[in-house]
Amino acid sequence: MDGIFKRILERLRAYRVPGYYEKFDHKWTMVVDLDRCNGCEACVTACYAENNIPVVGKEQINNSRQMSWIRIERYVDGEYPNVKVKFIPIMCQHCSKAPCETACPVYATYHNQDGLNVQVYNRCVGTFTCATYCPYDVRRFNWFTYKWDKPLDEQLTPDVTVREMGVMEKCTFCIQRIRAAKDRAKDEERTLKDGDVIPACAQSCPTGALSFGDLQDPNSMVSKLAKSPRRYRLLEELNTEPSVIYLKRIMDNGDESH
Amino acid sequence: MKRRDFLKFIGVGGAGAGLGFIFGRAQKPPGAKLIPYLIPPEDIIPGAASWYATLCTECGAGCGVLVKIMEERAKKIEGNPLHPVNKGGLCSRGQAALQALYNPDRIKGPLKRRGARGSADFVEVSWDEALDVLGQKLGELKKTGFAEKLWFLTAPLSGHRLKLLTTFMSAHSSPNLVQYELFQHRELAYANQTTMGIEEIPHYDIANTNYMLSFGADFSGTWLSPVNFSRGYGEMRQGRHRKNRGRLVQIEPRLSLTGANADEWVPVRPGSEAILALSIAYTMVERGYYRGGDASAWRSLLSSYRPSEAALATDISAEKIEELSKKFAGSKPALAIAGDGALSYTSGVSCAAAVNILNHLAGSIGVKGGMLINSGGLLGKERIDFKKGIGSLLDAANSSKVDALILYNTNPLYTTPKAANAKESLNKIPFIVSLSGFIDETTAMADLVLPAHHPLEDWGDGFASPSVGYPVTTVMQPMVSPVNNTRGFGDIFLALASKMGGGVKERLKSDSFEDYLKSGWKELYNRNRGLSAGTLGFEDFWKKMLANGGWWREAEPKRQAAVSLKGAKQMLPSRPAVFEGNEKEYPFYLVLYPHHGFGDGRHANLPWMQELPDPMTSVTWGSCLEVNPKTASGLGIKEGDFVEVESPFGSITLQAYLYPGIRPDMVAVAIGQGHTHFGRYAKDRGVNPIDILPYKEDPRTGSVALNSTRVKLVHMGTGEKLAKTEGVTRELGRNIVQTITSEEFKKMGKEVI
Repeated sequence: MDGIFKRILERLRAYRVPGYYEKFDHKWTMVVDLDRCNGCEACVTACYAENNIPVVGKEQINNSRQMSWIRIERYVDGEYPNVKVKFIPIMCQHCSKAPCETACPVYATYHNQDGLNVQVYNRCVGTFTCATYCPYDVRRFNWFTYKWDKPLDEQLTPDVTVREMGVMEKCTFCIQRIRAAKDRAKDEERTLKDGDVIPACAQSCPTGALSFGDLQDPNSMVSKLAKSPRRYRLLEELNTEPSVIYLKRIMDNGDESH
Repeated sequence: MKRRDFLKFIGVGGAGAGLGFIFGRAQKPPGAKLIPYLIPPEDIIPGAASWYATLCTECGAGCGVLVKIMEERAKKIEGNPLHPVNKGGLCSRGQAALQALYNPDRIKGPLKRRGARGSADFVEVSWDEALDVLGQKLGELKKTGFAEKLWFLTAPLSGHRLKLLTTFMSAHSSPNLVQYELFQHRELAYANQTTMGIEEIPHYDIANTNYMLSFGADFSGTWLSPVNFSRGYGEMRQGRHRKNRGRLVQIEPRLSLTGANADEWVPVRPGSEAILALSIAYTMVERGYYRGGDASAWRSLLSSYRPSEAALATDISAEKIEELSKKFAGSKPALAIAGDGALSYTSGVSCAAAVNILNHLAGSIGVKGGMLINSGGLLGKERIDFKKGIGSLLDAANSSKVDALILYNTNPLYTTPKAANAKESLNKIPFIVSLSGFIDETTAMADLVLPAHHPLEDWGDGFASPSVGYPVTTVMQPMVSPVNNTRGFGDIFLALASKMGGGVKERLKSDSFEDYLKSGWKELYNRNRGLSAGTLGFEDFWKKMLANGGWWREAEPKRQAAVSLKGAKQMLPSRPAVFEGNEKEYPFYLVLYPHHGFGDGRHANLPWMQELPDPMTSVTWGSCLEVNPKTASGLGIKEGDFVEVESPFGSITLQAYLYPGIRPDMVAVAIGQGHTHFGRYAKDRGVNPIDILPYKEDPRTGSVALNSTRVKLVHMGTGEKLAKTEGVTRELGRNIVQTITSEEFKKMGKEVI
């Protein structure tokens, strides 16, 4: 009995301690080329459609309670006429050393064997701690049980849970697509190959700014892109080791512009 | 409860249940309504998705899409990776088509007017009754010899839906088929026809260009074929096949989404884009960058656009014009484009022509990385009738030349200025029929509503416009069974034809639109064996086409064109763009642009689009007035304050947003909000800036200029919080979006891939 108890405790600690896993099955990674991204927000709508994200309405937007899992942030430098605008898509960074994971009192968020930061809705009791710890502001809290006016609910995908009030949610790297791809690969008796998994945002991206794949596979597109000299990670100084790699935008300042 | 009572209760209940069962069986035989899932409908495996290919009709670009179907419900729309226009990508608006399909405010079935016109008070009628009424009316018109008093106003259509409609109208002997929408790019088509003699809008090969001058073209957002152009933009920046990175210069008074991505922003004075383009062209000839034999003729033609003079008109220094000219001529291939921003002035046609001249002088017509000339589709040319704009309909209605009007997918009451008095004109039409799926402003005026299927429920096809250098046809097929009691667009006409008699039915030769479409394609197939290279029978060809989403064959575009001196001469602007209102009383230019999510307002009823933050202001669920912060502080306006925008033709009141990417002498408002009907998500939300525009149709193109008035601003006092998603817009040294200069990028050398 004592042994079982110890084993369970050990498992829980595994979820709790960042970097506990020595070896991941996969290291899912997204590469965002900021020089390609034009801020068109096709990814945002794709995410709404894929992940049953509710529309909250004007009042809740005013309370900063929009539920989008991916957003385009826009930064403006300078004054007229030397205005420089920069766009950046921000979604859950799936940090290898995620601050949110150490914070959750009920282990609702943990790191899985694929290197993903996952959220277990059934465990979540809504303490909001993870959202407070997250430096990227990507966690979204269900302040209400949102309703879809009939028959808009016919569009809801059965692949993804519809969340209820009091639950924290966030980008999952489209884990349902990862699962489906793994199942397909298993049925076809092969291992996953590059391009098997494409999250909704990357699929819809018109400019090809988003790439997704396994960083452990040295021949995958993301492995190649990750070696780019333009690479950086968001707020890298916090040492969260995000799984999202950004490629710097090329932008001339001052004299070149008007 | 005693044990005995309990047993009695159970006994009675049980007998009742048994009787109910027996009566139930007697009433309807088992299986009449309920089919066990052991015998599932075709293609249904619970939990497994099937994907079908179809055409996206949310704008005119003609992208191919795949729709994810699970248990007979459409779940998600994605770009078709095989399709040459969008190659797998899809914009927000295309993806949001699902919310139109399952919209709670869709019209559930045919309606007949009960209340006053415009009150949207309808009663439901059956299809038979509705078609009878309409068929009788049209039959009467034909019998009494007033067939030409039937008018048809539709959003631009293509393929067999257009063919059916044209045949229907000509069988009814009415020439009055008007294809109309707010952003129809008539200026572009007209200028191309006059200067180059081509009717088709060319393919802009952004992916392969080295230097791009974009005159007000928001090709990342809403212009022409945004997904195709965005793909090109991505390739231009970091395409793996490229040696160097292409540069983009955006010339526009208000920084659009595309402008925000440009390397340079040239904030030209509103309405002077054509002059700037011609001045760049003049410099190219003057400096000898253009070496054609007719250089001297071009020089004399363009001599009134010297940079020193153009600088005064455009607010752009002569040195800057020289520099742009040098770079444009020096980086081959270079490309100039003119978008909605520059075409929406009274001088819009001239700007389109000026840009053609630029491309001609730079040798960019018909070359890779320039303008690739499209040839007509498989069904022949689908030309814009410049004589038939919205004005022709309103004029005819005013002089009582319209007895019946049928509307499809178009909302002229929303898209024409109040000054056009469209409502009064429509009121003079005795009989209005709408085929719209929603009660929009114009449908509210209808006497009869025959709701057509949503395109995801219907058959059809369409040709991409602009195409990608070779013809691309996309087939539209039903994805789901109809959600409401609606009918297919083509099927409505086929049913109507048999009701109205007069030989219309005989001309159409089909019982269902599906047959019509298929036999139309069979004809094409027989006529043009190259379609399948002779290897497939028609049935196999048809099946393959439905599976792939359409028909296309990649080919190098070979068609050439050139700008003729004579054509160019006709199109040079005789005077700068006209703005109504004098400068003293109305100090600011008003510039309108299509909203990123709503286009010309047609998507304002989709909750996803309402909640999608505007890419430049991040405002949701409403309208805002974009004002330069300096101008605003001069007037004491803070963000969220209510401001009355007054033009000589009316006024609107909306909240201000301080936007640094706009000239201080102008304000801008997005088109799309301010509906008075159109369902719960759109109704009474924001303002419609088109209301306060002057109404003057360009006699050459039949379009109405949007940027054609000056306004004054009146501060109406402090307002509430603006519903927006952004927080601080400055980076404040957090280094979130990191950048490198192009010099540093060059030093990095060829990247790993």
